[in-house]
Amino acid sequence: MSADVGATLLLAVAYGGVVLACAVPLSRYLVAVMEGRRLGATRVLGPVERGLYRLMGTKATDTMGWKRFLTSLLVFTAVCLAGLMGLLMAQGALPGNPEALPGLPADTAFNLAASFVTNTDWQPVAGETHLSYFSQAVGLTVQNFLSPAAGIAVAFALMRGLVVRGTGKVGNFFVDVVRAVLYVLLPLALLLALVGAAEGIPQTFQGYETVQLLEPVAVDAEGNVVDVDDPAAVQTVTEAVVPLGPQASQVAIKQLGTNGGGFNGANSASALENPTPLTNFLQCVAMPLVPFALILAFGRMVGDRRQGRALMAAVLVLLAVGIVAVVVAESQATPQLAADGSVYTGGLGQAAGNMEGKEVRIGVGASALWMAFTTAIANGSSNASLVGMTPMGTLVPLVFIGLGEVVGGGAGTGLAGLIGFTVLAVFVASLMVGRSPQYLGKKIGPAEMRMATVMVVAPALVILAGAVVLTLSPVGASAVGEGGPFGFSQLLYAATSAGGNNGSGLGGLDANLPLINLVLGGEMLLGRLIPMAAALALAGHLASREPQASGAATLSTASPLFVTLLLVIIVLVGALTLLPALALGPVAEQFAGAF
Amino acid sequence: MNGKSVARGAVSAVVLFAAATVLCGVLYPLAVAGVAAVAFPWQATGSIIEVDGVKYGSALVGQPFRGEGHLWGRPTLADARAFADEDGAPLLWYGPENLSPASDEFGERVAKRVAAVRAAHPDQGDAPVPSDLVTVSGSGFDPHISPAAAEYQVGRIAAATGRSVEEVRGIIRQCTERPLLGALGEARVNVLKVNLMLDGIL
Repeated sequence: MSADVGATLLLAVAYGGVVLACAVPLSRYLVAVMEGRRLGATRVLGPVERGLYRLMGTKATDTMGWKRFLTSLLVFTAVCLAGLMGLLMAQGALPGNPEALPGLPADTAFNLAASFVTNTDWQPVAGETHLSYFSQAVGLTVQNFLSPAAGIAVAFALMRGLVVRGTGKVGNFFVDVVRAVLYVLLPLALLLALVGAAEGIPQTFQGYETVQLLEPVAVDAEGNVVDVDDPAAVQTVTEAVVPLGPQASQVAIKQLGTNGGGFNGANSASALENPTPLTNFLQCVAMPLVPFALILAFGRMVGDRRQGRALMAAVLVLLAVGIVAVVVAESQATPQLAADGSVYTGGLGQAAGNMEGKEVRIGVGASALWMAFTTAIANGSSNASLVGMTPMGTLVPLVFIGLGEVVGGGAGTGLAGLIGFTVLAVFVASLMVGRSPQYLGKKIGPAEMRMATVMVVAPALVILAGAVVLTLSPVGASAVGEGGPFGFSQLLYAATSAGGNNGSGLGGLDANLPLINLVLGGEMLLGRLIPMAAALALAGHLASREPQASGAATLSTASPLFVTLLLVIIVLVGALTLLPALALGPVAEQFAGAF
Repeated sequence: MNGKSVARGAVSAVVLFAAATVLCGVLYPLAVAGVAAVAFPWQATGSIIEVDGVKYGSALVGQPFRGEGHLWGRPTLADARAFADEDGAPLLWYGPENLSPASDEFGERVAKRVAAVRAAHPDQGDAPVPSDLVTVSGSGFDPHISPAAAEYQVGRIAAATGRSVEEVRGIIRQCTERPLLGALGEARVNVLKVNLMLDGIL
C-alpha cells in the first residue's frame, strides 16, 4: 500500500468520524421533529407550519393508514412531475432567463422532471447551456427539497409501522413532508449555501459574465477550436463566458437532500460549484448526513438504539470495502496514462495516480472518496469525471448503485431498503433455527415477506429491464461513444443510475435522445415508486399487528452475528442479480486492458 | 383508497407544491443571494479578476494557455459553439474529455500531449511530464495545476520572458495555495493569476 493510499484512507476515517459526530445529534432532532415534539425551533417555525396545514386542509393529528399515505405520495409525485415538466417546457416564456434559453422539448422535460421528482437527478442536458435561472431555482431546487422530504416521510411511516400497537396508522404524508422541509432541510441548506457562497460558489441573478481571453484562440469552419495561426482558422475567439446564477443555494440542497443534480454540467468538478477543498469536504460529508441520521433515528424510534447501530455497522462495513477498492484502483495510473514512464504519476509535488478527469485542487484521493460516497448514498453528484476513472474504479459505483440504496441510500429510501433486507434476513435466520420469524416484536408473516421481497428485488429488476431495452435498441447502440465492453458499461451505468435513483452518469453517452429519455425516465419512476409502495404496504401490515412479547427465544437483531448475516444476504442478492452484467462491462474492459 | 381521499390528497398536494415553490424556490435562493451580495459580493458574482476595467476571467475557470511566456494549464477541450455574445461572436466554454483512461484512443492523446509538452521544454529533456499537464480535468476548465507541473515549466518561462528562474518561481509561489490544515485538498497553482503577473497586469 502506497503512502498516498494510506493518507486517503486516514482521510476517509476522518470524513466518517465527522459525519457520525453530526448524524448522532441530527438523529435525535429528526425524531423530535417528525414526531411533532415542541422544540426551540417550533417557536419560530410553528406558525408557518400550522399555516401550511390550514392551507392544505390537513391536521397533524390526522394520521393515515398505509393506503391513504401511498395515495397521497402518488398524487403528490404526479403534481410535482406535471408542474416541473410544464415549467421546463415553458421556460422560454418565463422570467429569470437572462440568457434567453428556449423551453425544453417534451421528452427531455419529462426525463428531467421524473429525475428530480424521484431524487435521481440524472441530467440529459447540461444546466448552464439549457436551463434558465428560473428553471434551476424555482423548478429543480424545489424538487431537491421535496423529494428527500417525501423519502423521509416514507421512512418514518415504516418506522411507525414497527412501533404502533395494532392501529394500522403510519402517519400523515403531508405533515411529514412539511416538517422535514421546514425544520431539517431548509435550515441545513441555508447554512451550507452561505458557506459555499463565501468560498466562491456564485449566488446571483445577474446574467452570465463575459471576460477577455489572455490568449485568443480561433475556430475553423466547423466551429472546432484551433490555434490562431492554424491555416484552417476562419474566426478568432477573444472572449470567454463565465456562467453564473443562483448556484450556491442549489448546490447545498443537492448534497444534503441526496439529490446530486448540479447547476452546471460538470457538477461539483466545476470550480464554480466546488471552488475549494473546504467546499469539497463539506459537500462530501453532507451527502451521508441525512441517510445516516435516519438509520440512527430508527434505533431511537423503536426504543432500542442498538437496532440503529447494528444497521449503521452493516452500512459502514460495505462502505469501507467500497472505499478501499476505489481508492486503491484510482491510486494507480493506467498503462495508457503512464505511457512507458514518460508521464510522471507519482506523488511528489502533485497528486499521485489517475489524474484523468480529476481536478488539481481536489486530487485523486478525495475524488475517489467522493465517488464511493456519492454512489453509496444514492446522491449522484460528482467532483471528477466518472468516465475518467479506471475500469475497476467504475466497478465500485456500479455495485453500490446496483445493490439498491442499502449502503446509506437516498434520504429515507436508503433506510427503507435496509429494513427490507433486514426483514429478509430475519426470516432466513428464523428458518435456520426453527423459530417463528419476528422483528422488533412484530410477527413477520407471508404478507410482510412478499413486500420485503418486492423492496429487495424491484430495483435490480427495473435496472436490468432498462439495460436490456437500451442494449437491444439501435438508439442505445448509436448513443455510446466507443462500443465494446466500455460502450456496454455506459448503457449499463445509465440504466443502473436511473433505476437505482442515483443520477450520476458515465460521460460520453449521448443521453438526450427521445427513447433514452423515456426509458430512463420510466425507470426512475418505477425504481422509486415500486419499492416505496412496498415499503408502505409493509408498514401498514406491521402497523396493524399487536406487538408480541419477546423472550429468551427471540432472535437478536442487534448482534454482530445478525449483522454478518444481513451483510451476506445483501451481497448475495446483489451478486446474483448484477454479476453477469458487470462481467460484460468493467470487468471485461479491465482484463482487455491488462493482457 | 377511494375517490374522495384522492381528491382531498390532490388539494393538499397542489397547495404543498405551490407553498414549497415560494419557500424553497424563491425565498430561499433570494435570501442566500441577499446575504452573499452584502457579505461576499466578489465571490457571489463569479470571482472575476478585473484590472482597470478589463475583466480577465474568473479565478475559478481555467483558460487555454500555450504562449511561450505563459504558464500552461491543464489541456482544455474548448468549445466555441455553446455560447455567443449579443453580437453573435462565439464565446469560449469547455467540456470534459469523456474517454476511459484504459482506452487506446486515450493512450494516443496522451502520447500526443507528451510530445507537444516535451517539444516546448527542451531544457527538461526526457524527464517524465507531470500527469496533470497531459490529462483533462473533470470539468475541462480546471483553474489550477500542481506545483510539480509549474516547476516543470519554469525554465521555458524564464527564457521567454527574460526573467530570472527565481523571479518566475517567486510569482508561482505567490499564486500557490496549500492544502487546508495540511490535509484537505492538494497544493495548487492558479494558472490565470500567474500569467497575469507574468504579463505585468496584476
